[in-house]
Amino acid sequence: MGTPIIRFSHATFGFPGVIALKDITLGIAEGEFVGIIGPNGSGKTTLCKAVLGLMRPLEGSLKIFDCSCEKLRCHHRARIGYLPQKGRLDQNFPITVLETVMMGRYGALGLFRRPAKQDREIALQALANVGMQDHRDTALGHLSSGQQQRVLIARALAQQPQVLLLDEPTTGIDITTQHSVLDLVRRLHRDLGLTVLLVTHDINMIRQQVDRLVLLKTRLFAAGAPEAVLKLDILQQVYGKDLVITEKDLIIVEDYHHR
Amino acid sequence: MLSYDFMQRSLWAAALVGAICSVIGVFVVLRGLAFVGAGTAHAAFAGVTLAYLVGLPPLPLAILFGLATVWVTGVMEEKGQMKLDVSIGILYTATMALAILFIGLMKGYNAEVYGYLFGSVLSVTPEELHTIWTLGFIVLCVMVVFSKELYFIAFDQEMAEASGVPARRIYYLLLSLIALTVVVSLKTVGAILVFAMILIPASTAYQLTHSLSRMTVYSVVIGIVCAVGGVMLSYAWNLPSGPAIVLLATTIFFLSVLLSPKRLRRALA
Repeated sequence: MGTPIIRFSHATFGFPGVIALKDITLGIAEGEFVGIIGPNGSGKTTLCKAVLGLMRPLEGSLKIFDCSCEKLRCHHRARIGYLPQKGRLDQNFPITVLETVMMGRYGALGLFRRPAKQDREIALQALANVGMQDHRDTALGHLSSGQQQRVLIARALAQQPQVLLLDEPTTGIDITTQHSVLDLVRRLHRDLGLTVLLVTHDINMIRQQVDRLVLLKTRLFAAGAPEAVLKLDILQQVYGKDLVITEKDLIIVEDYHHR
Repeated sequence: MLSYDFMQRSLWAAALVGAICSVIGVFVVLRGLAFVGAGTAHAAFAGVTLAYLVGLPPLPLAILFGLATVWVTGVMEEKGQMKLDVSIGILYTATMALAILFIGLMKGYNAEVYGYLFGSVLSVTPEELHTIWTLGFIVLCVMVVFSKELYFIAFDQEMAEASGVPARRIYYLLLSLIALTVVVSLKTVGAILVFAMILIPASTAYQLTHSLSRMTVYSVVIGIVCAVGGVMLSYAWNLPSGPAIVLLATTIFFLSVLLSPKRLRRALA
C-alpha cells in the first residue's frame, strides 16, 4: 500500500450548531479503493465536501496530497474527480455529452485560458474510458441514467485526477446498471491506478469490490478490510435494530430512501 | 429609412442591446435567475429617477442601484437567510416605491424619465449611443473571457467549485453583469421591458437545441433580429419601439415552442 494522500487528523466538521463529523482520524493511501458507508445523516456527504475543499474543519486538520498549505481551495483539489449524488441534474439542461465532459477541463485550465485541441483530446479519451465515445454529440438529457452516470464519471476523469470521489453512484439506477457502473469504477481503479473513494449506503453492493470500508455515524466507527468491519457487534452499534443479517447477505432495512 | 441619422443610431443601439441581453440571457435562463433581471431593472430605474431629482447624470446612479440590488440579494441567498425570489421580490417593489417617490418629489412632468421606463430607442442621442457601445462592449468582453466558468456554474455551481473554479466569485460576476446589461438597455427598451429582452431570446434558443454553444449562438441571432426588426416595425407602422421589439420577440418565442424539436421529439416518443 502506498503513502497516505488524504489524511484526516482529529478533524471535526459541521455547520453552525450541528456537528456532522466528529474527531475523524483516517488516512487514505494512494491506489486504495475505499468504501465509505453509514446510515443516512451519518456524515458521508460531509466527508465528500471536506475532501473536495468545500468545508473547512472546525477542529483538527485535513491534508490532501503532499500539500502543506492550509488553503481550503488549493489548486491540488483539481486532482480530485467528483461524481455528485444523482438527482441534481436538470434533465432539460441543453448540453451535449462532449460539452459536459469538457467541463472537467475547466478547473484545471484556470481562469483566462481557453480549452485547446489537447483538452478536447483528453475529454474524448475520458469518454472512451467509460465506453461513451459514440455518444459525444448526444444531448445529456436523452441518455439513460446509467449512461448519464458514465458521462459524469468521464467528466471527472477529464480532470486527470489522482482520486476519484463518487457520492452514491449506484443510487436510483436499476440493478443491472448498478453492476455495470461498479464494474466500470473497478476497471478505472485498476487500469488508471486511481485512488477511489466510493460513498454508498449499499454495503452488499460494494463489499466484494473494496480494499477497505470506512463506517461512519458522525464518528468513525470502524475502518478496515470488509470482513473486519462487517461484524454484527460493530454494525449493530451503528444501525441498531434496522439491521438484518441473513446467511448470504446483510440487509439494512432503514436505509434505502435516498433519492 | 436608413438615410436618417436618428434611425441609424437607433438600429445600432437596438442591435447592441439585443446582442448583450441575449448572451447574458443564456446564463440567466440556465442558472434560474429570471426574476433577478426584473428586480434589477426596477432598481436601476429608481437610480435614474433619483438622478433626475437631484440633477446628477442618470447612468452612474442606475449602475449603483442595480449593482447594490444584485449584491444584496446574492449575499442574502448565500447566508441562507432568504430565498432569492423572496429577497428580490422585496427589493423589486421597494426600489419601485422609491422611484415613484422620487418622481412625486419632482417639480412638474419629466418626459425623459418616462423614456427610461418605457424605452425610446428612436430618441437615442450620439452621446448615449457612445455610452451604450462602451458599456456593452465591456460586458460582452467579460462574458467571452469568463464564458467557460459562467457555463459551468450554470450547469452545477457546486461541481464547479469542487473542480477548482472560483464559483462564488463567478456567480457575483454574473449578477453584476446582469445589472450592467440592464442599465445599458434601459434607454432602449425601458425598465419594464428589458427583462423580456434578457429572457425571450435565450428561452427561444433553449427550445431549439440541446447544445450549450448552439443555444448561445441562436440566442444572439434571435436577440439581434428581434431588436432590429422591432425598431423597423416601429418606424414603419409608427408604433412605440419597446413594445414592438418585445412583441416581435414574444411571437418568435411562441413559434419556437410550437415547432420545438424537443417538443416534437417528446410527441413522437
